Amino acid sequence: MNFFERLQALDRRWIYIVVALAIIIPLMVPYNSDVVTTPPTENLYQLIDSYSDRPDRAILISFYHDAATMPELYPMEIAILRHCFERKIKVFTMTFIAAGAPIIDYAINTVKEEYPEIQSGVDYCNFGYKIMPMITALGMGDNIATAIDTDAEGRKLANLPIMQGIVNYNEMNLIIETSGSVAGGTWITYARSKFGANVAVGVTAVMAADEYPFLQSGQLIGMLTGLKGAAEYEKLVDVFAAYRDDYFPKGRPFSKEILRDKSINKLINITTQTQAVFSPQEYQSFLSKYPEQKAILDKIKTDQDGKVAFDVTKISAQAQKDLGDKVWNALNKKTYNILYKFKTARIGMNAQSIAHIMIFAFILIGNIGYFVTRAKDKKAAGR
Amino acid sequence: MSFETISNLVAAFFTLCIFSFLYKDNPFYQMAEQLLVGISVGYGVVYSYERIFIPWLYQPIFLKHQYILIIPALIGSLYLFRFSRNLSWLSRYPIAFSMMSVGAGVPLAMHASILVQMRQAMVPLESLNLVIIFIGTIAVLLYFYFSKAHTGLYGKFTTIGKWYMMIGFGASFGLTVMARISLLIGRIQFLVGDVLGLIK
Repeated sequence: MNFFERLQALDRRWIYIVVALAIIIPLMVPYNSDVVTTPPTENLYQLIDSYSDRPDRAILISFYHDAATMPELYPMEIAILRHCFERKIKVFTMTFIAAGAPIIDYAINTVKEEYPEIQSGVDYCNFGYKIMPMITALGMGDNIATAIDTDAEGRKLANLPIMQGIVNYNEMNLIIETSGSVAGGTWITYARSKFGANVAVGVTAVMAADEYPFLQSGQLIGMLTGLKGAAEYEKLVDVFAAYRDDYFPKGRPFSKEILRDKSINKLINITTQTQAVFSPQEYQSFLSKYPEQKAILDKIKTDQDGKVAFDVTKISAQAQKDLGDKVWNALNKKTYNILYKFKTARIGMNAQSIAHIMIFAFILIGNIGYFVTRAKDKKAAGR
Repeated sequence: MSFETISNLVAAFFTLCIFSFLYKDNPFYQMAEQLLVGISVGYGVVYSYERIFIPWLYQPIFLKHQYILIIPALIGSLYLFRFSRNLSWLSRYPIAFSMMSVGAGVPLAMHASILVQMRQAMVPLESLNLVIIFIGTIAVLLYFYFSKAHTGLYGKFTTIGKWYMMIGFGASFGLTVMARISLLIGRIQFLVGDVLGLIK
């Protein structure tokens, strides 16, 4: 039995082990890799971003899935919610399936941990589990507060501050449905056709092919495709919405030029970052904001090729206490370290890439083995 | 031990039970599978009772005295006659009512799924993409026209349609692989990251 014949007769469980290793190793040993963003993701990001700081605009996220498709859809939801919270965009959430309700709570609570100033009923509102999609979608075209009536916490929607300036699809002019089956169907049919609302979807990769005709026809203004779409959105949030400097204290607007610029590499590293590095000018500007901590900062700073650097893992507990929460958080922010929950999809995409290479190799070797074996059989039959 | 730790350990145990099927079918796998089905149904029933039955039927009838709701409630309860061999015909009435909503949705669904799609296939061929889509649409549609034999020049053109479909199937296969691997990544991220804390 030669190599290829052995390969053909290989127990499938060995392949499972190889697949598992191809995924586990890149997850445990993450590396920085770029995720190239695509127009469907960028279009969705830009539309959501255009509602930034506008009390008369809101978006709705419809969680149309259960836990089975969470690995692909949940990072999208986290990324979109984070975008909204970073840029002060009013966001509503709802689901048409009972099993989607706890996922909404889980997603909101996960993101909200990092945004203590965000309030339910003011900055976001969870409509919760609703039935009868057609009636709800049509009803919201007339009046959202009447169609939904109460939110998931049982509060009368019309009385909530978030509803000020929000009546129907004229204001809540973007619906994003995340789904592992036919996504956006209800909203394209009722909200878009009758009221002209913008619709976008976040779908599992397996469903993407079915959604492309709607994207091409313009019925969908954007689409996030599986883990890749989620990873793209995570990156855009890090580069634009979560970006902070003196010129953009509340995040910066989307720009293709910035995406092409190499300087964004430090913003999208998915490996753990511990160094806060300042140019001399930046350090002076930083000190001017926190003059009382100057002595402590000067004491713990290190020199790195003419720049001022702080390794946050090497700062003692006492020094952290002396710096105070505000300065400590500002230093950590300067490391550009991304929390695990905000880079899940990108870490997953590393494993995805390795797994794809492995599958490609399997297909190649399998085919070579098949043709070699067939040629051998033919030769044997010829004798 | 915190609630989060316990819930993570329970989830990890059942994840491993499901994965054990990769080795071979076993009682742990079957237990996890049946628990999943049972818990999903139980959760759905309780949640619907709490979020639908109580606020939409019980409270309006008994607290707000909106007795008119008794009529749809009775019609809806006819669904339960599905379980009776002799009276199952009664369940057709609520089905007929729900079909009204299907009928109401037909014009808009026709617009969204057929008319807009057709209109988009009739745009001026201003770019290479649109030319490719145009040829593909015609070739695939003709491939499924069986009243003329697929021979000669016509046969060659319909073969182009077949190739378009092959490329489509290939793309679907690629996306399916990506989706399945993503699911596995999600579970392994949970096991290695959330449970063991080995992903930073």
